[in-house]
Amino acid sequence: MARELLRRLRSWEGLLFVLLLVVLAYNIARVPNFLTVTNQVNLFQLGIEKAIVVLVMTFVIISGEIDLSVASMMGLSAATAAYLFQSGVPMVVAILVALAVGAGFGLINGYFVAVVGLSSLAVTLAGYVGFRGLARLLVQDNSVGGFPEWFTDLGQKGLVGPLTLSILLFFILAIIGTIVLHFSGLGRLTYVIGNSAAVARYSGVSVVRTRLIIFTMSGFISALAGVLMAARLGAVRASTAEGFELDIITVVLLGGVSIFGGVGSMIGVLLSTYLVLNLRNGLVIAGVTGNTQTGIIGLLLILSVLVPNLANQAREWWRRRQADANARAPAEPVVEPTRSQAASG
Amino acid sequence: MKRRNFVAGIVCAGLLAGNMGFAALAQTPEASPVAGVKTGESVKAMLLPKFLGISVFDQANKGAQEAAKELGSQPPDFVGPTAENSVAGQIEFMTNAPTGGYQVVMLSNNAGEQIAPAAEAAQAAGTKVVTWDSPIPDAKGESFFVAQVDFNETGKVMADMALNILGEQGGEFAILSASPDAANQNAWIAAMQEALKDPKYANLKLLEIVYGDDESEKSYTQAQALISKYPDMKLIMAPTSVGIVSAAKAVQDEGLCDDIKVSGLGAPDEMEAYTLNGCAPEFALWSFVDLGYLTYYASYLLVTGQIEAKDGQTFTAGRMGEYTITKDPTRPDVDALRILMGPFSIYNKDNVKEAAAALKS
Amino acid sequence: MSDAILRRIRPEQFREVILLIVTIGLLAFFATQIPDYFNARSVNRLTTGLAIPLVVAVGQVLVVLTRNIDLSVSSIVGLSAYMVGTMLTRDTGIPPIVAALAAMAIGLVLGVINGLIVAYGGVPAIIATLGTLALYRVALVEFSGARTVTTADLPAWLNDVPSATVASFANYDLRLTVAIALVVAILGQLTLRYLPFGRRLYAIGSNPDAARMAGLPAKRDVFTAFVICGTLSGLAGFMFLVRFGNITVTAAQGLELQVVAAVVVGGVNIFGGSGSMVGALLGVLLIEVLQQSLLRWAGMSEFVKDAILGLLILVAVTADTVILGRLREMWVRVRRRDQARAHEATMTDEGGLAHGA
Repeated sequence: MARELLRRLRSWEGLLFVLLLVVLAYNIARVPNFLTVTNQVNLFQLGIEKAIVVLVMTFVIISGEIDLSVASMMGLSAATAAYLFQSGVPMVVAILVALAVGAGFGLINGYFVAVVGLSSLAVTLAGYVGFRGLARLLVQDNSVGGFPEWFTDLGQKGLVGPLTLSILLFFILAIIGTIVLHFSGLGRLTYVIGNSAAVARYSGVSVVRTRLIIFTMSGFISALAGVLMAARLGAVRASTAEGFELDIITVVLLGGVSIFGGVGSMIGVLLSTYLVLNLRNGLVIAGVTGNTQTGIIGLLLILSVLVPNLANQAREWWRRRQADANARAPAEPVVEPTRSQAASG
Repeated sequence: MKRRNFVAGIVCAGLLAGNMGFAALAQTPEASPVAGVKTGESVKAMLLPKFLGISVFDQANKGAQEAAKELGSQPPDFVGPTAENSVAGQIEFMTNAPTGGYQVVMLSNNAGEQIAPAAEAAQAAGTKVVTWDSPIPDAKGESFFVAQVDFNETGKVMADMALNILGEQGGEFAILSASPDAANQNAWIAAMQEALKDPKYANLKLLEIVYGDDESEKSYTQAQALISKYPDMKLIMAPTSVGIVSAAKAVQDEGLCDDIKVSGLGAPDEMEAYTLNGCAPEFALWSFVDLGYLTYYASYLLVTGQIEAKDGQTFTAGRMGEYTITKDPTRPDVDALRILMGPFSIYNKDNVKEAAAALKS
Repeated sequence: MSDAILRRIRPEQFREVILLIVTIGLLAFFATQIPDYFNARSVNRLTTGLAIPLVVAVGQVLVVLTRNIDLSVSSIVGLSAYMVGTMLTRDTGIPPIVAALAAMAIGLVLGVINGLIVAYGGVPAIIATLGTLALYRVALVEFSGARTVTTADLPAWLNDVPSATVASFANYDLRLTVAIALVVAILGQLTLRYLPFGRRLYAIGSNPDAARMAGLPAKRDVFTAFVICGTLSGLAGFMFLVRFGNITVTAAQGLELQVVAAVVVGGVNIFGGSGSMVGALLGVLLIEVLQQSLLRWAGMSEFVKDAILGLLILVAVTADTVILGRLREMWVRVRRRDQARAHEATMTDEGGLAHGA
């Protein structure tokens, strides 16, 4: 029983879980007012758009691709909604168009990756530059605000109790994401393609269609996050969400998803999302500067993989020494799953 | 494998729900974590620049620390986001300030109106928000703005410097700004365009406004592109301390200092060489140390209830003397209050050396 | 494309030629849009802009070939530029070559850290270097104490280096920094082609497990690739200091994406195993031409540029891939026809003993 528990804790999710407990314990003990409702809501609110995009990025990376254009897409959808609203279009229509723009450009990304066969890094890099450029074209150097009250209230005020629409949407999408990834055909295809697109094609899997769906969803969800961000901040600039793509990818990778595809779980990603949100919250309240925060998360990213790997290496070295010592009864070589061998998920 | 994930998921979800539920039970209704303070008591203050690692913000911090010491308060926390995460980072600090027990946040705003909801929430929770260097454009959530100089005057000063350098015959010039989202640069440029309508400046022709994003490499490249694009350009006006040195270096590297001049807003210690060799004969700035000092002083008096954020309120700010809070004439459309520091210092070959030495010491 | 050529060369070898054609096409297009496009001063500016990304790209190619990536390069460039700048501010008597070596030494140390974490720590490169990208930048901010390195405090020779010229042809200059970058690129290409280390990088990237099984020193080679990449980034940091003179904490921010973009556009497979320095050079050239030309395009509003840049990157990459795909098809067709002919020939000659080739 105890051994079983220990084995579970050694999995990637287990490690994240322990880390999360440590951070939570620290925050509860040391950060003033950590457990207040306001702070718990703030903790989610401040990173909620990134958290939402993290969910879809998990699919993208597990399928063996990358989408660098998500943050620019957030900016573009926010700018589209703002531009249309400013030119007199009703807000609801403006939002719908912005979401459609997201899905449309997502589909275009998908087309170039899945049909034309370009590397997703190159395609979405073009999107990263280009979508931001389109956002700039739409709102130029202006700040567009003055949205209807119902819109900004949706972003800023609690909808159910203190929970805002964005937070509720995140939880709903997290549940849907988990079910789709782990318990549906699309999820299985995502893993199969991520493990080897070639094998997937030969075994009759529609690689093209799956990729198109994933990239379209990526564009659509990013656009949704962009609109939610516009509602939360109450104003839109062309630089909205600039630089978020690396944060988003960092959280997904920390969640145990392999950059080479095929490996990872939604639970791991959710744990890492909550972990990073907690870390940021605690550090900001403790008055730690942004640079140090970034440094700590960077260090955590490296150490979370490095320490278990080194521990394994040390253990194997020790075992080999033991085995050499009593050469008559050599110990069974037990290979622990390491992150680089990607044995979780 | 799947089963394990599922169990972990349930545990995780339970933890989350428990955490939030506990929080909800523990604190209804919620007391404000921000304590009131009286005269003479220590104030927990946050000095929040656009981002860290820029010398002018460090100078402002020097001034704020000096004022805190004089007033017998604890030193303000000088924290800030990273350059690439400036907007989101500032909103994060602002939102969490009441939870951290800060009585006042002194903000050089880089987030435009986007920070207004967070600032309003902070005010509602008892944390005052005072802006300096760069205000919240719609003044929502802002107690008052400590302005380094009059923003309309900045435009006039820039136009005057251009006229001074180019002479009566005038000529073509371009503006190299920070980012298109930098509120104070935008305000200054708008003020300059307004000022240029005066027939006095009729011979000054603005070609284009380009952006170097306050990165020296991008500013340098932009300056080079301007030189390529406009063979008859006589002047680059850069209302940003990063842009102006980069432009001066670009012009100097091209060996064109005799044909193209550089001017704008810059730090004397960074501009000294270019002013002495004639590349940038004239530029302007104000003292960021004084700005930090005045901002802290006014913030302290506000938090301890010695002054109110209202039109006509006067106060004495230590070594800097008497100031008055007035309606902000540069933001006429909104209900904004302002403390005007001033004045401009104009630097040229006669005084730049002295000013640079003073900053370096 | 004539069959004769296709018989002799594999289409992959055309890759560089195609990129060159795409680049020339772009140059021709911009020449019609921008007056006096090829004047000496402008061309000099363009070529000078190549030096820094090219040096970093050469290092990046070595790493990418092994199926890894180094995202920390921009922080290494910034940190080494800043540290050497501070060093020169304190002691203006330091000779240029020492300063350059110091920058490379700083880059080497940072590259060693990356290499250790990735090669011996078993941490996936993207995770490791995303982490060090942040950490090295933090180190820069902490180290700087918010002071800016300014040209005025630097030794006078630094002002002369950017315009130092190795060779000149009717006002078209080959600047010293560009010459150094080209030498680095050529050395890189020679390493890949002729040194066992270079050949091994391809093997490791094509199939890391097989390379290990075959007894190649995979760990050591990956480590070396990261160290070289770090050292070259340090050198680029020195060039950065020389070129821009004013170094703030944001120095070189975002360079990593520009370099990765150039490498990918240059046809280096991001999943390792294929690519060349020539391709990387052309990738850097293509991106630089796009960026610089858009800046100089007078009819173009400041706000349209990025949208156009994104579109052009997509067009360039697509053109490259589509043309290459076509060529490969043609190559396969020619091959098949030749094989079929050969087959027929052997059938008649030897009574159908030979099957396939």
